[in-house]
Amino acid sequence: MSIRFEDLEFSYFADRRAVLPGLTAEFDAEEITVLTGASGCGKSTLLYLAAGAYPHSAGVVRRGRVTVDGEEPGALAPPERCRRVGMMFQNPELQFCMDTVKNELVFCLENIRTPPEKIEARLDEALEFCGIPHLKERALLSLSGGERQKVMLACLTALEPRWLLLDEPFANIDDASARAIAAKLRQLHRERGMGILAVDHRLDNWLAVADTVRVMEGGLLRPERMEPAGLTPETLEALGVIVPGRSYAPALAPAEPGEVVLELRGLTLSHGQNAILKGVNAAFRAGCIYAVVGESGCGKSSLFGALSGLYPYKGQALLEGRELRRLRRADLGKVGFVTQNPQDQFVSDTVREEITVGLRGDPRAGEQSEAILRKIGLWRYRDISPYLLSQGQQRRLGVAALMAYPCKALICDEPTYAQDRNNTRAIMDALCRQAREHGVALVFSTHDRQLAEDYADEIWELREGALHAYAGSGL
Amino acid sequence: MRTLDPACKFVSLLCATFVLAARHDPVWNLAAFFLAVGWMLISRVRGKTMGLLLLPVLLTAAGMFFTGYRFSADGALPFRAETLHIGDSALWNGLTLSSRVLAYAGLGLLFALTTDRVDMVRSFQRRFRLPQVFAYGLLAAWGIFPQAAREYRRTKAAFRARGIRVAPMSPALLKPLLVKAVRWSEELSVAMESKGFSSGAERSEFARSRLRRRDWAALLCGCVLLPLAAALWK
Repeated sequence: MSIRFEDLEFSYFADRRAVLPGLTAEFDAEEITVLTGASGCGKSTLLYLAAGAYPHSAGVVRRGRVTVDGEEPGALAPPERCRRVGMMFQNPELQFCMDTVKNELVFCLENIRTPPEKIEARLDEALEFCGIPHLKERALLSLSGGERQKVMLACLTALEPRWLLLDEPFANIDDASARAIAAKLRQLHRERGMGILAVDHRLDNWLAVADTVRVMEGGLLRPERMEPAGLTPETLEALGVIVPGRSYAPALAPAEPGEVVLELRGLTLSHGQNAILKGVNAAFRAGCIYAVVGESGCGKSSLFGALSGLYPYKGQALLEGRELRRLRRADLGKVGFVTQNPQDQFVSDTVREEITVGLRGDPRAGEQSEAILRKIGLWRYRDISPYLLSQGQQRRLGVAALMAYPCKALICDEPTYAQDRNNTRAIMDALCRQAREHGVALVFSTHDRQLAEDYADEIWELREGALHAYAGSGL
Repeated sequence: MRTLDPACKFVSLLCATFVLAARHDPVWNLAAFFLAVGWMLISRVRGKTMGLLLLPVLLTAAGMFFTGYRFSADGALPFRAETLHIGDSALWNGLTLSSRVLAYAGLGLLFALTTDRVDMVRSFQRRFRLPQVFAYGLLAAWGIFPQAAREYRRTKAAFRARGIRVAPMSPALLKPLLVKAVRWSEELSVAMESKGFSSGAERSEFARSRLRRRDWAALLCGCVLLPLAAALWK
């Protein structure tokens, strides 16, 4: 049993260069294979093709073919296809069709014509296997990113496909949850014989479970087959992969703490009946860098969402002494936000306008935007929609757009989400330079403890609804 | 009310609205409204939710009352305290129009607040032979509504972060939302297919419920007894 790509040339648009320019590869179901490589090299595209989602829903296959256990997945009807290949997507927000966890699992099992009397038992078993029976009646909207990924795994467990395709399954979740899911995947592979092909930039969570690591480069698979045990940090770094325990070695100027710019006093927030934040107190100073860490679902995104105006909160969030909810028009741009999904930041039709929109009235807006776009390598894309950029490019644009004008505080919710090592460093270097050089208070959340330790002056852990000094952060 | 089959509940309440439409009688309208409110309370609908939803209804009803009162056939007559009796045609007209708003809104809310949307779509699919691509498309789209509200706030926050204040529902705000809506629909359809959903394929049915006595009783009340009573009532 294997997934085979035979000289596959695939492009998203007929007149654009191919993302996969003639890929030939074979992945064996006997192994758990992790595919890694730089952002934008075609890893996710490869998975979508193996899952039969492409070219049915996007793109053009110019030549070659892909087969899963000898059959083209795109030619199979969805109920048969999902028994052959199940896929866990990168974005956990848009992979569910129903309202609650139970209904989603029922939907899956009904699709594959599971006898009604067996559905309840099968869904309970899947939830039990994934360690989330307590989420059975919960609304999907109320779940954190990590919990949604676990629900998605439960759906796949219930569907019992022969192959599991995983697109950055741990990008949005903490290390403990990631390791728990990785262990479950190993169990599925061993006990139920599911072949596993995963794409990831971070290999630390895979080291204990993967059999083979393969690397993609420019849409092609490199010939080396590496065993996780034999991977040295030097090899991984050379591949542009995030290296477990290896410092990002940032070149940061020492912090010169300024005045308190942003202060949180007794901030509380609830989603329905669930109290998420129970009195968060913190002060963030100009020129300093703060990391917020914590388990999946602890409320990091809710905290950042409250500060950006997404969720109502009680208590106070003060920017230079003025309540964030009552900022004057002139102060609106004083808090910049970098969101997990860069598309959430876009407000314009073209890449260039994304930069200039914040520079209205500035006579040097044209020159300045050109300089910024050249610096981040997006000048040649200046006239296209930002939505047409690759994910890595979108992230660079999102960060650069906020640097075009001065803000007092930068709130970044997982700014390096789903980025490779080089992009992670480039993004964090740019953000931290902004903080140091312009006296901005930078607050970012991350699941990557190494990143927090390397870049942050102070690390805070969000636990039980409050911010605590993280052990080892020097606080 | 929550345990009734949604399709039966829908048909019964629809019949009741037709009956009310045929009668020009505030007593019937008000009776329907208070019955609906009482039923919602018995069905443990949260008082706060109901109150918030009824607030615009009550305002509309008040508006309709004065419209009906002022513009009835003899609405030009000045209002006099001694004529404040049910036989006054202007007052009667105002009451009829305003109570009609209350009755329709009450019955509508009774259905909406006591029906689970997934159960409703499944029931409609079963009883009315609703095509499954339409039914599940509806459910998926429904799931997107809260997401769309959140995206709206996110986009607004993105503008704020650039120092731009945008008016609610301004084109600048809606444009990124439209782009995202297209993206969502694509991703959602890929996700649905990846879980084995196909418009033409046969599916099994987890909660295949039969109509129970209470469902037949609701149908009987809404579709037979109520029209009969309305026809016989003088």
